Amino acid sequence: MLTTTPYLTIRRPSPTTAEFTLTTCPPLTLPLRAALFGVLCLRFIAVLSVIIGIYSAFFSPPAGPPPPIFPSGTGYSLLDFDLNNFLLHILHLLYVSRPGQSLASLAVSLPPYAVLALSFVTAYMALFARIHTTESLLVLRGLGIQMSSSVGGGNFFRLGGGTFMKRTRFIPTEKIQDILINEAFKGFEVRYYLVIVVEGEEDVVVCFPRLLPRRKIVERVWRGARGCLYEKDGPVLSAGAGGGSGSHGGNGAWRGGNGNNGSGRGDEKGG
Amino acid sequence: MHPFSVLTLGIFVAGYITARWDLVTRLYELAIFAWNYGVVTRAAKGFGVLSLVFLVVFIPVQRLATLESNLHPRSPGSEDDGLMRVFWPTDLPRSDCKGVVVGWRNSALDVLVVAVLEEVEPRRVESALKLGNLLRNAPHPVSRIYEQCGKSSISVLGVSNTPDTVEVDSSWIRVTITPKQRVPSVTCARASSIQIILFERPLPGRMQYMSLNPIALALGDKHDGFRQDFADSGEEDDEKRERLNKETKRKLVEKLKQHSVVKRIPSPKERALATIVNQINWAWELEKLLQQNVSRIGTRPKRALSVSERVVESATTARDMILVWLWDMITIYVLPVIKKFFVLGLMAHRVVAEMLLRILEWRLRPRYAALKDISATAQQVEIRLQQFCYWPMQYVTLRLRKNDWASVTTSHPDYIRFYNSLWLVANDVIIGMAFGSYIIDNAGWVADEISRLLTTYTVEALQSSISWLMGWPAGLKLNTELAAFLGDLFLWVIEYWASCIETIRPMLPRIVWIIGFSSFAGASMPLALFSDLLSILTIHIYSFYLASARIFHWQLNILQSLFHLFRGKKHNVLRNRIDSCDYGLDQLLVGTILFTVLFFLLPTVVVFYLNFAIARMAIILFKACFDTALSCLNHFPLFALMLRVKDPKRLPGGIRFELRDTQDFGATCNNNNPLRQHPSTSVISLQPIPLDFKSMFYQYFQMGNRIRKHYLSPRVALCLLTGKFVPPLNRKNLYSLQYSMLPAKRAGVMEMWDAVNSLPASKRKSMPVQVPILANGRRFPSNYGGGRSRSYG
Repeated sequence: MLTTTPYLTIRRPSPTTAEFTLTTCPPLTLPLRAALFGVLCLRFIAVLSVIIGIYSAFFSPPAGPPPPIFPSGTGYSLLDFDLNNFLLHILHLLYVSRPGQSLASLAVSLPPYAVLALSFVTAYMALFARIHTTESLLVLRGLGIQMSSSVGGGNFFRLGGGTFMKRTRFIPTEKIQDILINEAFKGFEVRYYLVIVVEGEEDVVVCFPRLLPRRKIVERVWRGARGCLYEKDGPVLSAGAGGGSGSHGGNGAWRGGNGNNGSGRGDEKGG
Repeated sequence: MHPFSVLTLGIFVAGYITARWDLVTRLYELAIFAWNYGVVTRAAKGFGVLSLVFLVVFIPVQRLATLESNLHPRSPGSEDDGLMRVFWPTDLPRSDCKGVVVGWRNSALDVLVVAVLEEVEPRRVESALKLGNLLRNAPHPVSRIYEQCGKSSISVLGVSNTPDTVEVDSSWIRVTITPKQRVPSVTCARASSIQIILFERPLPGRMQYMSLNPIALALGDKHDGFRQDFADSGEEDDEKRERLNKETKRKLVEKLKQHSVVKRIPSPKERALATIVNQINWAWELEKLLQQNVSRIGTRPKRALSVSERVVESATTARDMILVWLWDMITIYVLPVIKKFFVLGLMAHRVVAEMLLRILEWRLRPRYAALKDISATAQQVEIRLQQFCYWPMQYVTLRLRKNDWASVTTSHPDYIRFYNSLWLVANDVIIGMAFGSYIIDNAGWVADEISRLLTTYTVEALQSSISWLMGWPAGLKLNTELAAFLGDLFLWVIEYWASCIETIRPMLPRIVWIIGFSSFAGASMPLALFSDLLSILTIHIYSFYLASARIFHWQLNILQSLFHLFRGKKHNVLRNRIDSCDYGLDQLLVGTILFTVLFFLLPTVVVFYLNFAIARMAIILFKACFDTALSCLNHFPLFALMLRVKDPKRLPGGIRFELRDTQDFGATCNNNNPLRQHPSTSVISLQPIPLDFKSMFYQYFQMGNRIRKHYLSPRVALCLLTGKFVPPLNRKNLYSLQYSMLPAKRAGVMEMWDAVNSLPASKRKSMPVQVPILANGRRFPSNYGGGRSRSYG
């Protein structure tokens, strides 16, 4: 429910600039937002329980009522507010609550190294586990191609469609020797993938390396990218797979064949 | 043709025909024959068909091809594809005033905006740029700008906020911008589509810059040399294999590249990117200079200073004069003396360092190990000395940087390297002081601990394990006699070693005290000393390991050849293969008996060998820990990490583009000017990306890889199994990380002397302070603020 199969969106403000975005994040509707918020809450609860577990296992808190926020006796004044005290108070309140108590008994019964390992794993999952993968290809005529890949969605740090840990790589046009579609075996299936041959580099560069979309999407992106980068009057962004029209389509089909021919040698890198 | 030669030819033909009349008759008969059988009509038909095909097929195809090629020209650098590229700095001051856009024109439709000069006439700007008026009072040579930016002149690119009625050149751009609008709207008569690339100018004063390639934190000039060494040493099979792998991979990619049919030649616009990045780096400084000089051509009225302002001005000038006089006194009489002494001290230090380095690097023979290859301490001392030798040179290059424009970015990595090593040494010394004072205070306790550890682990543990092996270990029935012999041998040596340690023991507190004292030279010194101490105090284990490994290896070899004999085979050394061989009966008998005996003795030798091999591996592990700690102390990219936190723009790791949403932009355009037909525009923002942590710690990853490859490879397991000596990792390989911050060849003493003396005197001009003419004060130097403040700075 939280993810879909990768789908393609194209932004093209001018014929010479296009961004192909491939994402597993479905369009943000209200139920989805609610679900992502739920995931966020789950993460928050996980982090809290980790804190309580560590607190009860290693700090042996007293069983009595929590320490007061303000030092007792004198009148209340905001100047006496101590953040440390306040946090301790909250923590203890959580600790004496019913779920906190059950968690604490669990933490005490386990050996300390198990508690540490468990809490580490839980905290890591809660803070850094990702739901969505988004990869995009930005084609700018005269400048080059930029690939970026980011993960996010329902993250602890950002909610919803926000991205997290974006990695980009920019390849200038003069370094791009060719863009082609290659095929490779992956497991028991044949995958078609988009490849950029970069001058002076020992490996070819694979576009959309995480998602590895299906052939139709790859072909669309390939046509669009070539058109954006090289063709004079801009790309023909038709969704049709085989045909197209005029010299452009013919050229494309022929080049596709070329990509397949080259694949025998490219397999090792793809797999 | 000449009539005479015609005549000659005619005579020749006639003569030939008369001489060979039979040939002529033969030809005549042939012609008659051909006519009779319809050859001529058939030939005519064939000709007709061929010309028809030519007319119907070939000519149209040729016409189509020319049409198509005209439609899609493939000529290199077809400039007029109607795409205009405008680089626009987002942090330019924005106003409603009319202005002239000035910048670099990289090609006809590829411009980079440097400044918008307000309230000036485009024609006057053009002439001023030609005369160089706008670049007057530059602090450094102007030719440097053109050289770095790759263009011979700055040009007028267009006009801003000018009504359409004003006629401009067709290649000029019209920019509309308001203070509220972040993205300017740009039109150009010759462009059908426009890319606006927004960038934020890096501030050269803060040493920010952009670059296409990640900044190199290590000196990258001598890694090939190291590779060469590997090839020489011959022991790096893995390296060789890896290189072969790379070679095959490269060939594969080469082959893949041959599949691209159309080799596109990049247009100048595509090749300009590197230049453009340079121009972006220069943009800030250049804009400041242009804005400073714009008053020379501007018509903007300048207010004359009032009387009170003039009084303040002259008072500050008088105060400045006194300060300058004092400063002059200091710089003329005191500073040179201090400087001279400092330089002399530096040179003396350099000479001593040179001598020490010579000793450390001295080898008996070229292939033998030098002192620094054996001992960690010598290595550490050598690294420190090399750093001390390199610092003055680095400092001199950094000082020279001050005499150039701040936008020249070539020395920024040097700056980072220099301060990184300074910081690291300072850190090292601070940690070392804490560590050293602790050790000195607790010298007795530390010495006791060390001797206790030594006796428990290197003497008593070994003794007990050997005596355990001499009995029946784990119910394994070894050969009692051989076990007793070997065990007694080792036990005897251990006893002797224990007595040696007993004699050393009283000196141990003193040694520890010395080590503690050495840590005032940095925490890395005691670490290196401890590492050496460990290898000296466990030398018996090393020799046991060597001896038992040798015995085991011999036995294994003998067993192998006897096994061949057992099968009636033998190893042919000449052909390096197994041949069958006829042995005599006595040979076979003795060989078989020996084989049996040795085979049954093998387990006893194996357990002893394993015992010492494990001990040896443990020691190697310890030493690897020490080495890792040392390299962390010596070459941790501390300064780079701090910079990454403080100002990521100083550590550029490349650039990235981001496609902006252009909805609002289009809307504002339409509101402003519904009539003007707007070209399709894409707004892209260009941002620098900071260096990622992976490439900051690249050297560490490399070192980890190398250690892993050396010790966790199948080769090592094979060596351990067959009892071959497992060589420790070559110090040079391990320490390539340490040397990556130092030049391959250190500068000599004389070179350093020249460099230190070639330092230019400080930039401050010694000209007297100009007192502005107060009388009637008709005219002021228009740029007094800028010029003066610079001369003090």
